[in-house]
Amino acid sequence: MRISIKEAGKILATVVGAAQSAVGVLAAIAAYILYSDFFGLQAWLNVTTEFVPLYMLILIVFGFFSIISGLFLLAERSEAP
Amino acid sequence: MKMKRELGLFDAVMMGLSGAIGFEIFVLLDYAYFSLAGSDMILALLLGGLINLLIMFSYCELGAAIPEVGGEYTYTKAAYGGIVAFISGSLRWLASVFVAALAALTFARQLSYLFLRVSPALQGVVSAQTPLIAMIVIVTLAALDVKGVKKVGPLIVTVFLAIFAIFLVGGLWRGLTPPEVFSKPLHEGLSGVFAATAYVFPMFFGMRALVAGAVQIKDPGKNVPRAILLSALLIVPLYFSVAYVAVGVLQGGDGPLLNVAAEEIFGVAGAVLFAIAGMVASLSALGTSIAVQSSIARGMSRDGYMPKILLSVHRRYKTPYVATIAGSLLIMVLSAVGAVEFLGYAASFGSILVFALVNLSLLKLRSKKPYLKRPFKTPLYPFTPIAGFIMSLVLLVSPIFLGDLNAVSALVSGLGLMALVLLTYYLRMVGRYRVQVALGGISLGIGIFTALMTYLIKTGFVPITLPPVSLYALIFISVISILAGVLNVTAHTSKIS
Repeated sequence: MRISIKEAGKILATVVGAAQSAVGVLAAIAAYILYSDFFGLQAWLNVTTEFVPLYMLILIVFGFFSIISGLFLLAERSEAP
Repeated sequence: MKMKRELGLFDAVMMGLSGAIGFEIFVLLDYAYFSLAGSDMILALLLGGLINLLIMFSYCELGAAIPEVGGEYTYTKAAYGGIVAFISGSLRWLASVFVAALAALTFARQLSYLFLRVSPALQGVVSAQTPLIAMIVIVTLAALDVKGVKKVGPLIVTVFLAIFAIFLVGGLWRGLTPPEVFSKPLHEGLSGVFAATAYVFPMFFGMRALVAGAVQIKDPGKNVPRAILLSALLIVPLYFSVAYVAVGVLQGGDGPLLNVAAEEIFGVAGAVLFAIAGMVASLSALGTSIAVQSSIARGMSRDGYMPKILLSVHRRYKTPYVATIAGSLLIMVLSAVGAVEFLGYAASFGSILVFALVNLSLLKLRSKKPYLKRPFKTPLYPFTPIAGFIMSLVLLVSPIFLGDLNAVSALVSGLGLMALVLLTYYLRMVGRYRVQVALGGISLGIGIFTALMTYLIKTGFVPITLPPVSLYALIFISVISILAGVLNVTAHTSKIS
């Protein structure tokens, strides 16, 4: 079975899109875990309490952009002929 | 499909009351009493009722003249169209999301209070996991909404009216100390009253549910304004007397104001009854808010302001599952923060801004469409809508002048979200492909920055110590972000021009 360059590109877009969306979701979950300090994450990452809101903001913004960007790539696959 | 008009004046008043009387009274009075205004809070409720009445006059005129689905969004669209309607719809949507998050947290708090009274050993666990409980409740109700389970609003309001009546009679029977008002210096007292009014204002504006339901009301030209005015006039003495009795019987105690007051009057049974009532009210409000945000998002999606995917309907349950799930995710993030006071202000500010726009829409429509059939005309026009507009702005800024940090963070976050909303509007107007390319650029930038930071941390140029597994995670993230950036940028560059 031969795969054309176009098909390979679509598969790559799907894999990368899914991975990026998953990374975005994990970033949002990590923001919550960091806030709640489940599993002693703040100590494990050497994060002091005063910097927690900053790290949360970074993770949430990063997560938001990653999810949207990943979804665009996934939508690309479903729309392509 | 047009809905059948089958509700009379009584049903319409009940609709307004069931919209207004809800979980807010179980949560908003606490901060208003303990931190903002003390006993002057009862004056804040009177002032709130008065301002609400001013604004409701505008709703009466617009609701009777344009009795269509969409409420505020429809009025601003008729008056201004374009971006003002979009802002109004977005603010209304954001306010629903904030209210839903607040309702979820209120449920968790009331559950914690219930355990404090019936099983103190478990209370510590419940209290520590308030945001988690709130998130579980949101997921459950979102799932029920997707499955199309109906709500029981009018029944709940009848039960609440009975509970509040028992509370008032019990409080008066037990005897109370009349609350001391204006005990502070005038300027301090007044600013506290205004800040508390802004904070408790969400207790009133649920009655605009009546405007949204105007399409089901018989003879809307007469019944909608009458029902709005009647519910606005009934709600003020009810709230005032409940707050008066609660403050009057309070003798210290730790916990939500109404629960503690009910415990003073009826003992543990009162505390448990009010905790259960608070939980039921919160669940009902959460379910309604999830449905309302979904309905607004779909309305805006139909008009091309939001992605068409929000209109998707579930194959099996025939419900708008994408809009429900998308909004519920945001509600979960907000409730995870766990800040009740922040959410109270955020919900209030969003709706107050919508009220300001509704008053402006009334002024605009009077000049733009003078011959529009108006079964009800706002008395003392144009002073009433102008006063409504000015009072909305006063409520918006008064907590800021008081230096309340919760209000400042709510306003700053609100402005940030509005900036995001406006950005979305313009990106939407310039087309999806440009947005995709822009996001590709952002992804590429994030990827390159992450790769650079990983290299600098690894070589010791940046003095951050991370576990080795974090470095591998950063490398993975940078590779994925760079690849996604390149794919998004190249995907549609040729289509833009």
